[in-house]
Amino acid sequence: MAALLRGLRVGRALRGFGSVVVPKTSSPQCNGLRRGFHCAALRLQEDKDKSIPVPPSSAASSTTTYHEHYRAPPSKNNTATYMHEAPAPEAAASEAAAKEAPQPNTSYADQSGEQGEEYETEEQLQAHILNAALDFVQLHGWTLEAISAGAETLGLSAASSGMFQNGAGDLVLHFIAQCNAQLTEQMAEQHNQVQLGQAEPKKTAEFLRDAVETRLRMLMPYIDNWPQAMSILLLPHNIPDSLKHLSTLVDDIWYYAGDRSTDLNWYTKRAALTGIYNTTELVMIQDSSEDFQDTWNFLENRIQDIVNMAGAAKQVASTGEAVAQGLMGAAVTLKNLTGINQRR
Amino acid sequence: MQRAVFAHIALHDWTHVFSPLRIRQCCLKHRVQLSSRAYSVIPPPRDEAEKALLHSMLRVDHAGEYGANRIYAGQMAVLGRSQIGPLIQEMWDQEKKHLAKFNEILAENRVRPTLLLPLWNVAGFLLGAGTALLGKEGAMACTVAVEESISEHYNSQIRALMEEDPDRYVELLKLIKEFRDDEMEHHDTGLEHDAESLPGYKLLKSAIQLGCTAAIFVSQRL
Repeated sequence: MAALLRGLRVGRALRGFGSVVVPKTSSPQCNGLRRGFHCAALRLQEDKDKSIPVPPSSAASSTTTYHEHYRAPPSKNNTATYMHEAPAPEAAASEAAAKEAPQPNTSYADQSGEQGEEYETEEQLQAHILNAALDFVQLHGWTLEAISAGAETLGLSAASSGMFQNGAGDLVLHFIAQCNAQLTEQMAEQHNQVQLGQAEPKKTAEFLRDAVETRLRMLMPYIDNWPQAMSILLLPHNIPDSLKHLSTLVDDIWYYAGDRSTDLNWYTKRAALTGIYNTTELVMIQDSSEDFQDTWNFLENRIQDIVNMAGAAKQVASTGEAVAQGLMGAAVTLKNLTGINQRR
Repeated sequence: MQRAVFAHIALHDWTHVFSPLRIRQCCLKHRVQLSSRAYSVIPPPRDEAEKALLHSMLRVDHAGEYGANRIYAGQMAVLGRSQIGPLIQEMWDQEKKHLAKFNEILAENRVRPTLLLPLWNVAGFLLGAGTALLGKEGAMACTVAVEESISEHYNSQIRALMEEDPDRYVELLKLIKEFRDDEMEHHDTGLEHDAESLPGYKLLKSAIQLGCTAAIFVSQRL
């Protein structure tokens, strides 16, 4: 009798242990989910051998270390299954909701996405949805409707937009991060070309103008809705992120323009460029000229102003030094004349 | 001791001369990441936390060397033409080398310098000039106090890095140890030249060290 009870207790303990190892209950959908992830992991292993459309690392050179937060995490092939074993509750809920909508298709791996890519992490899934959503910004503006429309083109339910806690803010910030990453890649590529001697280094003013113009041109497809995006970025909970993106952008532009200062100039240069960028952006959203020519003229003038001011500051400093030296010389002469300067 | 110091300085100069050449070669031959060269002083950070830690350490070290530079400049402005002038000039030249090295590291690793640099500029000069007005002993007392603070700061950084991962930070540890040895040498020089004979030496020393601790604290964060 005692042995029987002990056996039952051991059995119950083992079952408890088993359920701890398998976090989800064994429902048919979740089994399909695990199988789907396993298939996804297998397919990812194959894809790893083919060329995946990830931004080229060769262009990164000095940027990879500094811009990892702009790139999706490197394909975590080994950890794909591990990562999906214990996802965040909201992701599980929304992904389960997404799975439930097309009822028969429970295999996550068979979702028709862009170019048949498999989504390995939640961040990459969100990035794909937001990229798709950008196509609908002209129609719906920077809103959750655009995100839902984007999710639908990927075969997911429109309710997937619930994944984005910040709603339209996520879309705008994602777009900004993407533009900044693109600009940084281009600048790194140019930097490489100059290092290899295949291109001439640009003068600072010209480089700054080209960089800001390139970055602002990325806004052109969305320029009609951009005021809405700017107001979203000014919401209090978005301000820290948008400031971070802006400061990283300005730091990158100055770095590739050749700034290596380690004193107060570091701050004044970046403050000046931030001012130029923000004002030019504001000019751009109300510019109605051909190809935004007025905006580029405005930008050129502002950069000239900064260059002139820097030149003037240098002149003031050198004049000040010359005046000080002149005064010292006059004082020494006076002391000599009056005999005060004698060594005793 | 002197020979070891000379060897240190010689090695230091050699790396100074060698690195710019290798940079150009490296970039021409292959497109390697700028900070993955074997001889770069800090390793490429693994994550944001390590990057923040390393950058804050470099920032405060740079601010410290900048301040020390200005202190010696202030001392030279007052005592430059006195008997102790050449000695102060020699110590100042060593600090200039330290500052140049940190400027190079900051530029290479895109570390933001501290916002309070203008403040350290003025405060350092005033401290140096003010203590030099108390005479040679005053200047030496100031040197002793500041160099002791800086050595203690470098020691705590060395301890922190050793606790983290001595193999990963071997280059940075070597650099900080070398600089700490130089600062200790300045401290000993100050003591040799009658720093302690200043009336009110203990008071001045604790006041200066309090200021240095506050400066280090603020520069790490701002």
